[in-house]
Amino acid sequence: MSLTEPLPRPPVANPERGALEPEARTNWQLFRRRFIRHRLALISIVILGILMIACYGATWLAPHKQNVQNLLQGDLGPSWRHPFGTDDLGRDQLSELMYAGRISLTIGLAVALLSTAVGVTIGAVAAYFGSLTDQLLSALTDLFLILPDLALLAVAVQHFGHGESPIIFVLAAISWTYLARVVRAQVLSLKEKEFVEAARASGASSRRILMQHILPNCLGPIMVNATLTVALAISAEAALSFLGLGVQPPHTSWGLMLAQAEPYINSTSKWYLVFFPGFMLLITILAVNFLGDALRDALDPQSRF
Amino acid sequence: MGRRVFGALALLTALSVVGAACGSSSKPGAAGTTTNTSAQAVPNGGTLVIGAEEEPDCFDWLGGCSGSSWGTWMAQIETVPYAFRDVMKDGQVVEEPGAVLTGMPTFTATPVETITYHITPAAVWSDGVPITCTDFQYTAIQQQTSKDIYDPTGYVDSDGKADLTVTCPDPKTAVVKYKAGDSFAGWHQLFASAVGILPAHLLQGKDRDKTLKDGYTWSGGPWFAKWNKGDDIVLTPNPKYWGAKPHLDKVVFKFESDTAAEFQAFKSGQVDAIYPQPQLDVVSEIKAGLTGAHSQYNAKTGTIEALWPNDQRFPFDSKAVRQAFAYAIDRAAIVQKLFGALDVTAPANSLNPYILQDYSDQNSFAGYHYDLAKVTSLMTGAGWAKGPDGIWAKNGKRAAFTIVSTSGDKRRELTEEIMQPELKAAGFDMAIKNTTADNLFGQLLPAGNYDLGLYAEGVTGLIPGLCSTFCTKSIPTKANGSTGNNTSFYSNPAADKLLIQVDNNLDDSVRRTDAKQADDILASDMAALPLDPLPDIAIWSDKVVGPIQDNPIEGMFWNIDQWGLAK
Amino acid sequence: MLKYLIRRLLASVPVLVIASLITFWLVRISVDPLAKFRRLRDSAQVIPKQRHLLGLDRPIIVQWWKWVTHFARGDMGISTRTQDPVSSMIARALWPTLQLLFWGTIFSVAVAIVLGVYSAVKQYSIGDYAFTGLSYLGIAMPDFWLGLLAIGLLVTGPKVWFHLNNPIFYSIGLHNEGVKGFNLDYIRHIVLPAFVLTASSVASWSRFERASMLEVLNSDYVRTARAKGVPRRQVIFKHALRNALIPFTTVTALDTAGLIAGVIIIEQIFSISGMGQAFLVALQTGDAQFLLAWFFFSAVAVIFVNLLADVLYVVLDPRIRFS
Repeated sequence: MSLTEPLPRPPVANPERGALEPEARTNWQLFRRRFIRHRLALISIVILGILMIACYGATWLAPHKQNVQNLLQGDLGPSWRHPFGTDDLGRDQLSELMYAGRISLTIGLAVALLSTAVGVTIGAVAAYFGSLTDQLLSALTDLFLILPDLALLAVAVQHFGHGESPIIFVLAAISWTYLARVVRAQVLSLKEKEFVEAARASGASSRRILMQHILPNCLGPIMVNATLTVALAISAEAALSFLGLGVQPPHTSWGLMLAQAEPYINSTSKWYLVFFPGFMLLITILAVNFLGDALRDALDPQSRF
Repeated sequence: MGRRVFGALALLTALSVVGAACGSSSKPGAAGTTTNTSAQAVPNGGTLVIGAEEEPDCFDWLGGCSGSSWGTWMAQIETVPYAFRDVMKDGQVVEEPGAVLTGMPTFTATPVETITYHITPAAVWSDGVPITCTDFQYTAIQQQTSKDIYDPTGYVDSDGKADLTVTCPDPKTAVVKYKAGDSFAGWHQLFASAVGILPAHLLQGKDRDKTLKDGYTWSGGPWFAKWNKGDDIVLTPNPKYWGAKPHLDKVVFKFESDTAAEFQAFKSGQVDAIYPQPQLDVVSEIKAGLTGAHSQYNAKTGTIEALWPNDQRFPFDSKAVRQAFAYAIDRAAIVQKLFGALDVTAPANSLNPYILQDYSDQNSFAGYHYDLAKVTSLMTGAGWAKGPDGIWAKNGKRAAFTIVSTSGDKRRELTEEIMQPELKAAGFDMAIKNTTADNLFGQLLPAGNYDLGLYAEGVTGLIPGLCSTFCTKSIPTKANGSTGNNTSFYSNPAADKLLIQVDNNLDDSVRRTDAKQADDILASDMAALPLDPLPDIAIWSDKVVGPIQDNPIEGMFWNIDQWGLAK
Repeated sequence: MLKYLIRRLLASVPVLVIASLITFWLVRISVDPLAKFRRLRDSAQVIPKQRHLLGLDRPIIVQWWKWVTHFARGDMGISTRTQDPVSSMIARALWPTLQLLFWGTIFSVAVAIVLGVYSAVKQYSIGDYAFTGLSYLGIAMPDFWLGLLAIGLLVTGPKVWFHLNNPIFYSIGLHNEGVKGFNLDYIRHIVLPAFVLTASSVASWSRFERASMLEVLNSDYVRTARAKGVPRRQVIFKHALRNALIPFTTVTALDTAGLIAGVIIIEQIFSISGMGQAFLVALQTGDAQFLLAWFFFSAVAVIFVNLLADVLYVVLDPRIRFS
């Protein structure tokens, strides 16, 4: 739609009023209606659902156990017995992908959740309360920005061993600053708006103002960022595996599988070792991001549809 | 990424100084000649670009930052004169006097070990100053007195005191005399083997390390070497070289440490030859397809990857357990998996590498094949019984141990991954915990703070003898400051006797017999378990012509002065 | 404005100090500066001597202070790997990385803004979906995958398929041997690494630009402007773009810091001897002195870029008050 047409304004729940207008539907119904129009998002939910069931249920659903080597069955292409082929140790790639997905998905989701929670809190509080709080929290944000993530990881890896937890904590520690800065910027500009003044004047507590008035208007960038973080975390894990700082054998992750397939990236003979882990990475990231887009559009009461 | 780890111990496989020995394992030949396996004439001119996986840390070949094989392969042998070279003849490594000598040095063992070097009259440094006995003196004194010398073996005794003197009856004759009562059987390594001969007139009075470390502009060999840090090393011919001039105008060694990118660089013609270390992704690249390239896979090298149990720590303090362990692993399958694509099919069956075959029994460990029945009979015979979890137990202690190797090494990780379920099925519980090379070789091994190690040992010259690895006196203790190299903590007086003979005995045939016998004792005791010979991989394109042949000691570029560019 | 900048700069100092202390402690506990001495034959004598020489027997704070004071004088210590002064190693490594970042960033920012604006203005069009898809591809593909694929398809591929004498683009380093300066040889070397760096950043940046643009396009005052008859293009450029750049500059600044991992991988694959490669080698060989200096420089770079972002932020949105 172009900018020239006058817009029919449907009755929308106006958060600036803090109360529903009589003719409007409930927030939830509006949300659902807007969301459903995003067909891609619906497909994404389905895909993500399938992935999560397959990966978290790998113990019961995978055709083989993890890390079952069968040297005689090594280096096979896709077949009925091994739909995604086998690697040089004869491990069934379909099963490996499912077990690997468990780790990759966990890392992506955990990092996103953790960093979003921390980042939003710090950013909002810093911006809203200003002055000393802002300075301290901004300094903290800067500190985490400056702290070298790779050093953290290299050390964490030496002390706690390779595993998901150090990776999750370190990636989250890097990612929250991203969101804190953005949220802070948004809240700073929203803080001066009339509806906030109005709410303050009507005696609402800081917490209420933040949670009910300001943050809902920030949901757009927050959602985009959260979904972006899932994508970035999953692909950061791939980069770390490439550098040898990620998940270690016998555990596996999509990133590690892709890193181990590095010699075959440009060959046609063992394309399946590169393609399937990469494909999993891709559709997961795509699905999560379409979901985020849809959530943002659906939650932002001012967007058109 | 691809990096052949010799281990600090490996490079100190050279003999310590006791007793007297002589013995020449080299065949006499005119200095500096090599077999030319290619009959065609090599054209002159052109620039060759070669991919190098590692940049050396510095060019001070004697000092503490040396020890880089690539540095030796790319720059040292091309610019520094050697008393002895390890050349290829009919596919075998053979020691020959270098071009700086007129022929074999004169050797006498009595009254005191004396070696007389006859320097080629025409031999000059690149500035025209003749190569003389003074250069031998300077090099010897550096090895003996300079701090942070990488390996002074042969120049000093076991207390670190100077063991030989160099005198100059005339400028072109150098006489090396050992202290009375001392001698060194591996005297071929003197002024050779990763040391060489340095120009006294350019370095006397200066800080050798500071002067050399960033590269140098002089040469005593066929080439000049220029080091552009971070980018490449460039070789250009040395016009003052008295021997055969190189055919090529220029050789550029470009640094490229990522294997996949290195192979792409080769396929796209950006480099004309590569010499990748036998890492897993290299084998994968070769499996992925290498059309139209010439390649040579050489399993007859000087390096063996082996499993090293701590012979004084539970559960490997029991010979029965060590032997059972050896029957519980399918070594042939591991080698097939790792290097089958390179036509390497047989596991290493001796703790001595192939190039020392004359001083070893290359089949001593052949009896240890995959045999679960043997595992059971050995373990039960020693009083072990399988617990409910399927793991052997004795007196309440389970047969559980941890393997340690260098982290980030995919080939070793794969080896561990293959072993783990195999051992589980045989009743052994193995955990994997890798660490950095520094930690492994510098801390864990000398302190005996490990159960089972996986790493390689190699020789940098034709230096027989495993006493420094397996003699009782080589065990690192507080007394010797933890500097012994027997980090297996293996001790067997019968083996000691034989290994010391290999080090000392004048009679070469006795050395050979004793070495073979010692090998057999080590095998029956299962002191350590050899796994795979680490092959050399040489790959080059049609553009490169000449007698290209891998040299397991001096590297693929040992005769690069004889290479050329196809017209 | 200047007062704000100075205040921010001063506020950065304690942060830098704390970060430096933490980094120093981290490096000390994870990298053993005596490692190379343990392999020597006479390590038992050498090690206590070296420990004292390197000041490792003093408390961490004292060691750190000594390092800082030396650093302030330009003395960054001697590399334990090469015996070179660390300052010259950093100087040598900084230049190639700056080139990579420069070309990569310029191109990324330009492409991101264009893509983002286009996608927002033509929301839900085929172009929007196509760019969205490509963006996600860029985020999803790890740098090493993209890099090797690029080399395979754009360097090796054409050379082999079309039987060329030389590949069109090069994948090793920034110059052929002996060639210097800004010329065709340089361009043929820098294109692919910069492209790979761009591809991964452009994705997240353009998504953010698109989201910000959408927010602004849908806002009341833009609608008001349109209702008042302000021409569409003017609305986009003047109002929407400018306000969309606000969060974008913040994001860009933050993400530039996050480019470090990308730079390391790209330098590894394209054999560029910059800060990324230097870091990897130092990490693998336990070169503690170098790592300390490296971390400091990357911290300073992050601070600088963020200050720049703050300045831009103020310039773009004068409504922000500074209490």
